[in-house]
Amino acid sequence: MINERRLIRAEPSFGLTTKLFQISWIYVLLICALAGVGYAALYSAAGGSPDPYASKQAIRFAFGLVMMLCVALVDIRIIERLAWPLYGVSLALLVLVLRVGHVGKGAQRWIEFGGTQLQPSELMKIALVVALAAWFHRATWERMGNPLFLIPPALMVAAPVLLILKEPNLGTAVITALIGGTIFLAAGVRWWKMALVVIPIPFAARVAYGYLHDYQKARIETFLNPESDPLGAGYNIQQSKIALGSGGMWGKGYLQGTQGKLNFLPEKQTDFIFTMLAEEFGFVGCLAVLGLLLLIVLGAMAIALRCRHQFGRLVALGIGVNFFLYVAVNIAMVTGAIPVGGVPLPLVSYGGSASLTVMFGFGLLMSVHVHRDVEFKDRRED
Amino acid sequence: MNEPPPSNAPPAPRRGAPRIGGATPLVENVRVTAPDLRRRAALEQSRSRLLIAAAGFMVLFGAVVAKLASATIIFPMMPKLSAEVPVVPDPAAMAAADANPDAPMPGTLTAQHGPRAMITDRNGEILAISLPTSGLYANPKEMIDPADVAHKLKSALPRLDEQKVLARLTAAKQFVYLARQINPREQLAINALGIPGVYFQPSERRRYPQGRVASQVLGGVDVDNHGIAGVERFFDDRLRDDATPLRLSIDVRVQAVLRDELSKSMEEFTAIGGCGIVMDVRTGEVIAMVSLPDYDANKAAQATPEERFNRAVTGMYEPGSTFKLQTASMALDSGIANLWNEYDAANPIHIGRFTITDFEGKHRFLYLPEVLAYSSNLGAAHIAQSVGPERQRAWLSNMGMLERIGVELPETGRPIFPSVANWKEAANLTIGFGHGIAVSPLHVVRGTATLANGGVLLRPTLLAQDPGAPPRVGVRVMQQQTSDTIRKLMRLVVTDGYGKPADIPGYYVGGKTGTAEKVGGHGYKKHTNVSAFMSVFPMNAPHYAVYFMLDEPHGNKATGGYSTAGAVSAPAAGRVIAKIAPMLGLLPDIADMPQLTAALSVPMQPGHGYVSRWNGPLDFVPPSTPLASATAAVAATASSSPVPTLRQAKHGRGPEPVPASMPPQPVMRTPEQMRHEASLGTQVAAH
Repeated sequence: MINERRLIRAEPSFGLTTKLFQISWIYVLLICALAGVGYAALYSAAGGSPDPYASKQAIRFAFGLVMMLCVALVDIRIIERLAWPLYGVSLALLVLVLRVGHVGKGAQRWIEFGGTQLQPSELMKIALVVALAAWFHRATWERMGNPLFLIPPALMVAAPVLLILKEPNLGTAVITALIGGTIFLAAGVRWWKMALVVIPIPFAARVAYGYLHDYQKARIETFLNPESDPLGAGYNIQQSKIALGSGGMWGKGYLQGTQGKLNFLPEKQTDFIFTMLAEEFGFVGCLAVLGLLLLIVLGAMAIALRCRHQFGRLVALGIGVNFFLYVAVNIAMVTGAIPVGGVPLPLVSYGGSASLTVMFGFGLLMSVHVHRDVEFKDRRED
Repeated sequence: MNEPPPSNAPPAPRRGAPRIGGATPLVENVRVTAPDLRRRAALEQSRSRLLIAAAGFMVLFGAVVAKLASATIIFPMMPKLSAEVPVVPDPAAMAAADANPDAPMPGTLTAQHGPRAMITDRNGEILAISLPTSGLYANPKEMIDPADVAHKLKSALPRLDEQKVLARLTAAKQFVYLARQINPREQLAINALGIPGVYFQPSERRRYPQGRVASQVLGGVDVDNHGIAGVERFFDDRLRDDATPLRLSIDVRVQAVLRDELSKSMEEFTAIGGCGIVMDVRTGEVIAMVSLPDYDANKAAQATPEERFNRAVTGMYEPGSTFKLQTASMALDSGIANLWNEYDAANPIHIGRFTITDFEGKHRFLYLPEVLAYSSNLGAAHIAQSVGPERQRAWLSNMGMLERIGVELPETGRPIFPSVANWKEAANLTIGFGHGIAVSPLHVVRGTATLANGGVLLRPTLLAQDPGAPPRVGVRVMQQQTSDTIRKLMRLVVTDGYGKPADIPGYYVGGKTGTAEKVGGHGYKKHTNVSAFMSVFPMNAPHYAVYFMLDEPHGNKATGGYSTAGAVSAPAAGRVIAKIAPMLGLLPDIADMPQLTAALSVPMQPGHGYVSRWNGPLDFVPPSTPLASATAAVAATASSSPVPTLRQAKHGRGPEPVPASMPPQPVMRTPEQMRHEASLGTQVAAH
């Protein structure tokens, strides 16, 4: 019975043209605006030149945009069926990266993949969202009350988190765990059960701290006391804060930043791109960018709320959370609120891996929006 | 809303649904199934949870914005010129550091260990010492003008490469090494430049004042002061953990003489290499060990593999004729042969695909002393044949020839010899004259020392033996009487055989030449020799073994074109003995020469006055001075002995207290040895 149904292709709900009109073009416009901010920032980071960052980034974004629109047209029910293969492939890549990955900046995170570098942990975050959504899509209130039902998804979160920790990439591991946690929360897991899992974490972290790499310990210790090492690990933060401070309320003006230009600012085109924006456009400019980012996050939330099936809702939420955590962690990082963690500002920071996965995520989000009212054939019923 | 479109046909009534008068229901039939309800409940649940999550995000976002506001406009951080002033050691602090060398220098990293212990020779002469130096490093992040810094550093330290320094100073790092081994004067000069961001790391430099003289013995250290070869490596932990100087048994004067002679001979005979060893046969202490070509121990890291190769312990050579002493000893000790046995040296031996012949053969039957004096391969092969492969193997095993030499060097090699299965007649014969087996020169020295010292096998050592310490314990592997006989035979080789050029009047040198053709390609290479002379002196009271070997020497006019051991190595060994004996506290004994000569002599052939086929112990000439007691006399104090011995030197670097040469050593026999002796049965009793 079930097998037979699985073989039946989801009937196309409506035609491609209709689908194209169903895409939330306002949302696409918001994304393009963010990419525009990124282009401007990278243009400035290169000292007022499209090379070497901005032009390449624009090409990547164009590619990402096409990919996003393609994904948006895929029926959400097909995506639901692909959830498990996608998760499996991502997990396999994570294992692979530990074996053959490139070592960069003290960690194994990359796989050379047809000329481009792939960061499996980025793909994993999307795959985890889809897989958890597929799992909880089948959940009912009664089932949610059964602790045994929660064990498989908990393992689904734990496996990639541990693998990413082993790379080691503390920042992404924490973000992955948070995404998983948020989906658990939204799916309706009882509060006390969440607490049961969350409360021991600080104690576990205390133990885990002993196993951290020295550079990670240094980051946490520098975070707790950044002045302790102004020339070593605290240097990035120190310079970043100086750049933020020199921007003030209105900024120095576009292409007028000095901290970034004079290379005081490390990684100015990648993780610390926001600092450059702050220096040139000031607090007000930052608020504008933050507003744009917030709109994108809240847009994802709105799409989630509007969706009439649990799968789409959870996917949209997960994509939104993923994006939000990028933004929050990156900005918290450059302002010195949390330890430096190698988390880029998506679509603004220079780099392909994060941008492409984020665009893929937005494609899923659009698919959820286009297929917000489709009906899932309930496999476990009848 | 994507409810299914209303169909024309009325929906099938649900089972158990109340039917009202069979009429069409008035209420619109909204199909709400139980699963549907559950799904809706879940959606409701997730809606409220979603709103909570969104609210949480807003709060977090607010926090981020607040932090951003704080960083940009509320408490903006202003750039400082330098957050921390690097500490440059000031003269006062440096003076304090000098007074207390263990205290870390301000502003510098601390060395974890004390200085590496010194290595001295047996007389306290320094062979290796660690001098304090500094490493120069910099933090590029603190550089204001790297190009200027590089230029200034170059002016203070001319050996720097300005371009390289500049490249390092501009690297995106916080620690770059600029130079190692900065001496205190250079450190002061760099300090005087007052460059911020440049620091010193206290370090040490291993110096070898003797340079090449004992390089392979000492080995050397790498940039981190870890031993990479030789004693430095073997005693690496000891040298790092214990600051007491390590006193070697090497006598650097003897070492220098040996190296000098070896080097001259190498040049004279255009040899590719050479090896020399001097060992105290009574204690097993290695007094000198040279292998050429060698290297400057101060530049051990740059030494080529050929230079690092220590022929004395790593090189495995066919011992050649020097092994005939062993062959004669095993035959005599087991009673299989006596001095006047005759051996066929007229007819070549054909065995398998080999043909054994003699170099400058006599083409007649030879007595045993003649076999050694004329170095007859055929004679030695026949003696070996009479001993047999099993006893030969057992003997060589007892002599330590079949295992690594236990000296304190990491480079010791493993001897090469036939397996038991292959140690049959052919091997038996060739090993009899030192072919078909390869051992290190030190193996040969150790074995010969055992033959000469009364029969006690000692493990060779590079550590000086404390004069007060109890004598080193060896293993008796042969009878005293056999040793006495062998000493006479060794002396005979020098007085009447090929070893003549090594004879130094008054030192009663005994020895044996050994010329082995080198193996290469297919079989032996003709005219490519390893020419060695193995000697012990003085033969009346054996004290030092001297081994002198040239690898692939070429004969010249002076040697009549010969490159054999007797032509090239024996004369050099003689020169070495003449020079080192006084250093070692031995003066030539000319006064007692007639008696000693008589006591040590043995005729080549049973001559006049002697009973033909003489078959007894060798205390026959002159009857008043039995040789066994001559050796014992050395054990007692030299002066009180009625037997003439060598006089001890009155000056020099203080004669060492005469080691109780071979005091009654505990006779330790392995079960194997005991079986071996038991198998000899009556022959042993006959001695």
